Amino acid sequence: MASDVDSPPLVGRADRVATLRSALLDDVPPGHTAAVFLTGESGVGKSRLLREVGDGLRAGGALVLTGSCLDIGDASPLHPLRQALRRFDAELAATQARTSSTVRGLLQVFTEESAGPDGAGALLERVSRGLSLIAEGRPLVLVLDDLQWVDRSTRQLLLYLLAGLGDLQLSVLAAVRTESLQGAHPLRRVLTELRRLRSVRVLDLAPLDRADTDRLATAIVGRPLAPEAAELIWRRSGGNPFVVEELARDVRDGRAGLSDTLREIFLARVEALPEPAHAVMHAVAAGVEPVEHWLLARAVRLPEEELIEAVRAAVAHRLLESADDGYRLRHRLVAEVLADELLPAERAALHRRYAEALTAAPAELHQARLAHHWRLAGEPARALPAAVAAAREAERLHGFAEAHRHWSTARELAAAVTGPASGVDGVELLERAAETAHQCGEHARALELLEELARVSGAPATCALHIRRARYLAAAGRSAPAEAEYRLALAAADCTARERVTAAAHPAELLLHLGRYADAGEQAREALELAAGAEGCTSEVVLASAALGFSQAYLEDPDGGLAVVREALETAESAGRPEDVACAYLHLAELLTGPLNILEEGVVVARRGAERVAELGLGRTYETRLLAIATNGLFRVGQWAEAEKVVAAALRHRPSGADAVELLLARCRLSVGYGDIEASDRDLDAVATMLAGGGARHVLPMLILRAGLAMWEGRHDLARQAVQRGLTESRSDDVIVLATLAWHGLRAEAEAHASRTVAVDERAVRRLREVAARVAGKGEQAARPVRYVVDGFLALCDAEVSRLDGRGDPELWGRSVAEWDRRQHPYPAAYSRLRQAEALLARRSRVATAGKLLRQAYGMAQALGAEPLSSEIRTLAGRARVTLEERPTERRHVAPRPRPAPAQPAGDELATLTAREREVLAAVAEGLTNREIGQRLFISERTIGVHVSHIFDKLQVRTRVQASAIFLRNGSD
Amino acid sequence: MGEPVWGPIQQDIVGLLADHPADVPAVVDHLTKLQDMLVRLPPLERSCPLADFNQLYLVITSTVLDGLYDDRFADPVFLARLDVEFAARYFDALRYWTESSPNTPRAWSCLFKRMRGPDARPLPSAAAGVNAHINFDLPFALVTTFDSLESEPVDDSDQHRDYLEINSIFAERIPELRRGYLDNWQLMIDMLNGDIDDWYQGELVEYTRNVAWRNAQKIWRCRHDPHARECERTRLDDNAAALGRLLLSPLGAFLQ
Repeated sequence: MASDVDSPPLVGRADRVATLRSALLDDVPPGHTAAVFLTGESGVGKSRLLREVGDGLRAGGALVLTGSCLDIGDASPLHPLRQALRRFDAELAATQARTSSTVRGLLQVFTEESAGPDGAGALLERVSRGLSLIAEGRPLVLVLDDLQWVDRSTRQLLLYLLAGLGDLQLSVLAAVRTESLQGAHPLRRVLTELRRLRSVRVLDLAPLDRADTDRLATAIVGRPLAPEAAELIWRRSGGNPFVVEELARDVRDGRAGLSDTLREIFLARVEALPEPAHAVMHAVAAGVEPVEHWLLARAVRLPEEELIEAVRAAVAHRLLESADDGYRLRHRLVAEVLADELLPAERAALHRRYAEALTAAPAELHQARLAHHWRLAGEPARALPAAVAAAREAERLHGFAEAHRHWSTARELAAAVTGPASGVDGVELLERAAETAHQCGEHARALELLEELARVSGAPATCALHIRRARYLAAAGRSAPAEAEYRLALAAADCTARERVTAAAHPAELLLHLGRYADAGEQAREALELAAGAEGCTSEVVLASAALGFSQAYLEDPDGGLAVVREALETAESAGRPEDVACAYLHLAELLTGPLNILEEGVVVARRGAERVAELGLGRTYETRLLAIATNGLFRVGQWAEAEKVVAAALRHRPSGADAVELLLARCRLSVGYGDIEASDRDLDAVATMLAGGGARHVLPMLILRAGLAMWEGRHDLARQAVQRGLTESRSDDVIVLATLAWHGLRAEAEAHASRTVAVDERAVRRLREVAARVAGKGEQAARPVRYVVDGFLALCDAEVSRLDGRGDPELWGRSVAEWDRRQHPYPAAYSRLRQAEALLARRSRVATAGKLLRQAYGMAQALGAEPLSSEIRTLAGRARVTLEERPTERRHVAPRPRPAPAQPAGDELATLTAREREVLAAVAEGLTNREIGQRLFISERTIGVHVSHIFDKLQVRTRVQASAIFLRNGSD
Repeated sequence: MGEPVWGPIQQDIVGLLADHPADVPAVVDHLTKLQDMLVRLPPLERSCPLADFNQLYLVITSTVLDGLYDDRFADPVFLARLDVEFAARYFDALRYWTESSPNTPRAWSCLFKRMRGPDARPLPSAAAGVNAHINFDLPFALVTTFDSLESEPVDDSDQHRDYLEINSIFAERIPELRRGYLDNWQLMIDMLNGDIDDWYQGELVEYTRNVAWRNAQKIWRCRHDPHARECERTRLDDNAAALGRLLLSPLGAFLQ
């Protein structure tokens, strides 16, 4: 009997163990992250495999932290991580005092965290710093079981760390029950998105096959099985290892097992237990795992020795597991099985005993557990204060989703409490429930609760309610109704002067979103007038000034608007509230780099602002955002090296959420320009990881970068896919995105056409031209700054289309050059020059102009550091025999050429050929016709014919095939 | 655990399902390939009941894709995500079926079971597929889509209007595919849903799609509660399975 406490051998999973080890440790490059999500049905052995792999990784030198998610719907934020840290601390030996104090330091972070601006992001940063201290340079592995019950905060932490934002070498191994992923489980979508990444694997753990089933059964029984017994086990278990184990035990112990589902097996096992052990099982099932020994003792009320005896029996029957931190059921299904067995009164009594014991002695998850037990004990009055405390604690840790759930529970409890004894203010509960719903993005729920709030007695005043409703509506992206709510607020009789300013300033911003620029300006002026007569309205002044500035910019009075925003910055500086100063800088920088397109000044303002807000202590939030603006501006004006420095500085703050996505995209844009494929891929994967958690609306810039990258890699198919997806997922009013996509799409088709290896997708071309035409139509009605950007891309589109028709129209490319020069955007301007030169050369006209263009383009591309572009320019210059006046020092940037270089030393047989003849021969060997060779080398078909006959003569051959054979034989590459 | 469920096309199907399409063009591509495989499934081949549904679904999805390219929808991000998420549920069901998993939704397995015979009439087969896909898959696809877009199912929003726009696509396409059968559909549905008052115009798809939107709103409210979510899933699965079995019973044959 005792042998059953030991784990049976792990059968049939050797491959998995090896795969997991290499995916999580051995194959992870330094500084990278990796994740494996293990899915499988109940009893298939996920937890067992986690343990096995965890031990292996620990032995392999990794720091392994292990935690589980809980199925009480109201757990506290980041519970699995905190549990993992506590367990780890408990395992540390006395000699590891330093590590232990680091672990406790990190645990302390959770206790001391207090709500503040960007609190959630700052907490992520602190946690990742703490983890990296604990890891002490070792790879860190986070092993999480029962991930189907993960809380939202933990989910976000995982994505943040996996995106590499925590700057940690981290691997995650998590198990998920397959059954739970059906329906609308939030993890479903996350896993679908993550599984596309190279660093993530989703592995399904299948039941054992027949041979492994027999092997496992034999190991448990201890002798070979009779064929009919083996057959029976196989048929009844379907290879589920848990069921196999239990059936094999029945065979070994001579029990006539009738059960072949987990549920039936558990029921039969529990039935077989002695009475006190039975009670222990019920108690643990009703508890929150792990159930500590002292707590269990209070819940079952057995004398110590009897209790230990009972626990021992339950462990021996393999229903209960015992660990240092307490008891757990071997499988959560047991709790479900047992739930139907108790009378409601018995269950309530158990919960009451838990609650009473916990009231006396604080423990892990204290308030959440208290609320849980008191509620199920049928004592709403006692559960209520605990639920409120749990809600406040969740808020403190920025877990607004969890907080909202606790506040909702608290409201239900308060409704069940009769009389005024509750001591809790019902209006406050409602207010907090509404506010936390708003904070965790449950906008509809927040609005519903606000409706309720408006009806209760003691509700806030009408004006305040309108303002709040407007705020919630605006957060839900419903600008028009939000604006209407502010109007109602202004009309409310109880509106204070302060509120009047608020209700006037915010709709100005909303009107801007709605494209009603003139109305926005008017509204902003009204707000500024109101603010002039009221005290302490700096935030509103900044907001309204920015709205006015943007509306003026859109309405073609840029200077007037700019002056207003500058003034707002001064006002903010003299009033002295840091957030106002930061906002003013942000608006000013956005205005300059955005609609006004005064890039240099915008960059200066953004960088000066970044320094200033860092002084004011807002580095993490506002400095990061200002630096992102500076980076994008620097990219556009062509100061890439500077942009690279700035983005690195911004990422040092370990930003999270939308800020992080923006910076990663900015860095990736640089890497794509530099032609650093590995770095680009890494940033794109990091962005995809962040977006897996939600916010699919930021997907478009990612797709545009993917397309750009694929083009430099010569992967027209991938570029095409990214553009297609982008076109099906962009709003028709987002003309800038559409124009950018159309250009990338047409460029991909034009390159396919030029490559001759990939067929042009005619349908795609037609569609892209339609999109460009539609954008041109809509662009005419768009605001001037929008039109300005769109026109640049449309010029590129027109010119790419001309490449598809034939050799490209030098005039159209010339127009594109002029457009981008005017915008001071050297990257597309250099690209357009390359294409203009190519078009001129193909027509063999104005060769000198073409040479000049190529040299200009090359100079620009080299100054940027745009390697793939430089390399294309070099290839064309080589074919056209244009000297680029390259300085020798710059040669080290040169990447391998895409085609075999004709100037390479050739074998003996080719020694008699001139350089030009070798070039022609190389093209012949590629299978090109004379006409095609002529187009490529910019010489007439007839001249090619002359070259070819010279080649034949010198090589003494008669056919192209023979000539090609000699060429290939003599080291063509 | 004996013979593979897809017989000779097992490898092709497993290969296809290993991929998870990420956008609408990829979904159309997937459905096209699947169609080519299904019509090779013996013994029914061209009259494979699932192929009848798959063909209809392919036509609808291609029309949605054209609509996305042609600027037909107000919020293409939403609609494209929904389309992908919606199709993913169908592919998931096929994957479960391929693995002979007990997790195959009952709503689907009643149709899948008929794939190897006996022959069912094309219209009831397609209708059974539409039933499983709309009555069971769609509400969950909606919830997941809104969740990933950090948005919510709000009546009369852009998303709701786009969603209803799909009804016109069904209305455009169904008569074209099965010209003249709509009267029978109406009759059938009147029989099945005799007690439903807001049944108007007699269009199965429009009606069930509105039910799906309501169901999605219902699931949305309890999506953080694993227990309630699971109850809702079982309820929808049971309902859709009952309706599916009826459509595939001899009674359904009169639809033809």
